[in-house]
Amino acid sequence: MFKNLSKSLAFLSVVGVSLLLACSSANSVDFPKKPIKLIACAAAGGGEDTEARGIAPYVEKYLGVNVMIENQPGAGGKIAFEKFQRTKPDGYNLITYTFPKSIIIEYMGKTNYRTRDFTPIFAWSRSNQLLVVYADTWKTFDEFLKAAKAKTLAGGLSGRGSTTHLAGLVAVDELGIKVNWVPYEGAAGSTAALAGKHLDFTLCLATSAVPLIQAGKLRPLLMFSDKRDPYFPEVPIPKDLGFDVTPIPAIRGVEAPPNTPPSIVKVLEEAFSKAVKEPAFIDWADKRKMVLHPLSAKEFSRIVVDTYPKVEQFKEMFKE
Amino acid sequence: MDVVTQAVTFVFQWQNLAALIAGTIYGIIIGVLPGLGPSAGMALALPLVLKWHPATALIFMGSLYKCSNYGGSITAILVNTPGDASNAATILDGYPMCEKGKGGVALAISATGAMVGGTIGMICLIFSAPFLAEFALRFGPAEYFLTALLALSIIAAVVQGATIKGLISAGLGLMLSTVGFDVVTGHLRYTFGWSPIEDGIPLIQALVGLFAVTQSLVLAESAESISRIGKLAGGFWEGVMTYFKYPYAIIRAATIGLFIGILPAVGQSSAGLLAWAEAKRESKHPETFGNGEPEGVISSETSTNACMPGDLVCTIALGIPGSVGAAIFLGVMIIFGVIPGPLVFKEKADVIYSLFVALVLTSFILFLVGITVARHFALVTLLPNEIIVPVILVVSLLGSFAIRNLMADVFISLVFGILGYIMLKGGFTPVPLLLGMVLGEMVEINYHRALMISGGSYSIFYSSIISKILIFLTFLSLAGPYWGPIWKKLTQGGK
Repeated sequence: MFKNLSKSLAFLSVVGVSLLLACSSANSVDFPKKPIKLIACAAAGGGEDTEARGIAPYVEKYLGVNVMIENQPGAGGKIAFEKFQRTKPDGYNLITYTFPKSIIIEYMGKTNYRTRDFTPIFAWSRSNQLLVVYADTWKTFDEFLKAAKAKTLAGGLSGRGSTTHLAGLVAVDELGIKVNWVPYEGAAGSTAALAGKHLDFTLCLATSAVPLIQAGKLRPLLMFSDKRDPYFPEVPIPKDLGFDVTPIPAIRGVEAPPNTPPSIVKVLEEAFSKAVKEPAFIDWADKRKMVLHPLSAKEFSRIVVDTYPKVEQFKEMFKE
Repeated sequence: MDVVTQAVTFVFQWQNLAALIAGTIYGIIIGVLPGLGPSAGMALALPLVLKWHPATALIFMGSLYKCSNYGGSITAILVNTPGDASNAATILDGYPMCEKGKGGVALAISATGAMVGGTIGMICLIFSAPFLAEFALRFGPAEYFLTALLALSIIAAVVQGATIKGLISAGLGLMLSTVGFDVVTGHLRYTFGWSPIEDGIPLIQALVGLFAVTQSLVLAESAESISRIGKLAGGFWEGVMTYFKYPYAIIRAATIGLFIGILPAVGQSSAGLLAWAEAKRESKHPETFGNGEPEGVISSETSTNACMPGDLVCTIALGIPGSVGAAIFLGVMIIFGVIPGPLVFKEKADVIYSLFVALVLTSFILFLVGITVARHFALVTLLPNEIIVPVILVVSLLGSFAIRNLMADVFISLVFGILGYIMLKGGFTPVPLLLGMVLGEMVEINYHRALMISGGSYSIFYSSIISKILIFLTFLSLAGPYWGPIWKKLTQGGK
């Protein structure tokens, strides 16, 4: 423990000093020459942090330098994003978070950063939103929809302005139903309230509901995705039921500060894309029921651009 | 029974026993360092144990998780610095005991409390987890709102003697709890555009200020040492003996801790505070609480340590984590292929029962560490203030910084340090402030949520049986201080 702490303290001071000293080595392809800092915009132990710590060792293997995780939780990541906007684009400072929460935060209030300014490098996983109900209530999505049209249901959310909230707003809009949204702090609260029959349904990331579904307390009715989730093959997706709902998936990936030179992006993208193919990493991801879905820098950039109008459409509803 | 015998044999294999001891010691160290809680400790240790046998790894993580709280109580008692938010109530009487030279006694009480409270909690977890989890699920927003109200009503007892100042302190706490992002409406309140408090006033950083920084200022006023009498009075065994003199307080505190632990939406930080306040309320000499009353330390430590196994009830039986630490432990279990839920007791019985056996054992190892090593830590209370004050300040502020790697948090701690100093000099107690900060959000959010679910109808607050019982208890708690004298008058008047 002391070793770890002193190591990271030593590292922090090295980064501090090198940030002061480092000059424009950015344009040379001679990258990287020193440890890279990967900022996780959540506290140690959360999903974002765990995935960052999971992938880091394999990225290290291909970059040949250490990748250190630094946790910068606070205000849903806003503090980290604002700091990151002003970070030197030398490739030694990277950020990882659940996209598109940064864009949602932009529409919820005043921010001093723009997600579209960040330089996407690579994304490795995606998680889909799942609609779950109490097992004794509705057996199919059609039954649920009929009930929802008859009266306003109470639906649990894992937070106002979360990626789950966005998915819920999109769904409600396209299904033409009305919902009393009840926000919680995280999926634990909303799934527990559903299991105690205090809510009618809950939307959450698919992985959060696994234990309660296995326990027979909750029933998954719909997976908001383009294709069926490999870990929930029996749960239908909107297309199967004839609905045209455009799902907005939650993506985990890595980005560099604004205006990072393409030569550096290329080195980093290559390292991350190779790391994701490591059998040991795939094995680890499987244990966590993570859906691996690699996106190149180009594909990731396109998604960033495409997501803006979708979020903007609902901006008023994030803070009613 | 067969599965339990197997689990015991498994835990006593050398590598598992080694993992158990290593986890215990690592947990205590993590707890001692302010700013590093069980969550960060587990996250940092994860790469180390990834290749281990699942049961061995869970034994290590479980004992780490369970013991970090004890580590935090050591610094809480000796230098007035809570290692984690759950240790706040231990400070209230633990530190004054040190001032009387009884640091060793207080440390012994906290070690014994960790052992006894932890064991009581574990027994309930092992024998009735599925039943308790079902009970917890019956708590919806309305029930949580009423639970928080009941808890707030205890403030009435805490402030007795200095009612006005106590209520000012409680009001300030409730006001501070409204700062930040309102989860229900999505609005930012009272942040003045300053993002470090958008999640609300960070609790540990505020505690570091209220206790560690304030106390450093007080200590700096004199050139003595923390122990005012300049020597240590009373040994470790005296503390152990003292602990068992309060059987009723132990049972009461363990019940409160367990209850709070079982409810997933009530924070662990309130377990110790509520047990402390309840002990003070029922005491025949409430004025001794906060001035080095052993029963205060007993209540706080027994409660927080019973809270942790309670936390694991819903985590293991339903996969619903009751706290940040439990959420990380849940993540660790999933990585090792142990999917929590009712089935886990059948499908992974070997792993789960090994974990349970280990969690019971770790309490006793922790006690052994307490009597062999930690008792000597009391010597720091003899160090002259000019040496100990800078150390407390630097280490606690470093801890404050390390939680979010944010310089603003150091500033927050300093502001709360000054606030604490002013309150101390003005004769205000920080307990109502803390209760207000911890419970205010719970009252407000669940009130909101309940009305959202009911569509604005207030009947949701008294429709269930649990609600009715909670309302009754709250009335009892509020009327209690007045009822006693009236009852006496009535019975005496009849003579």
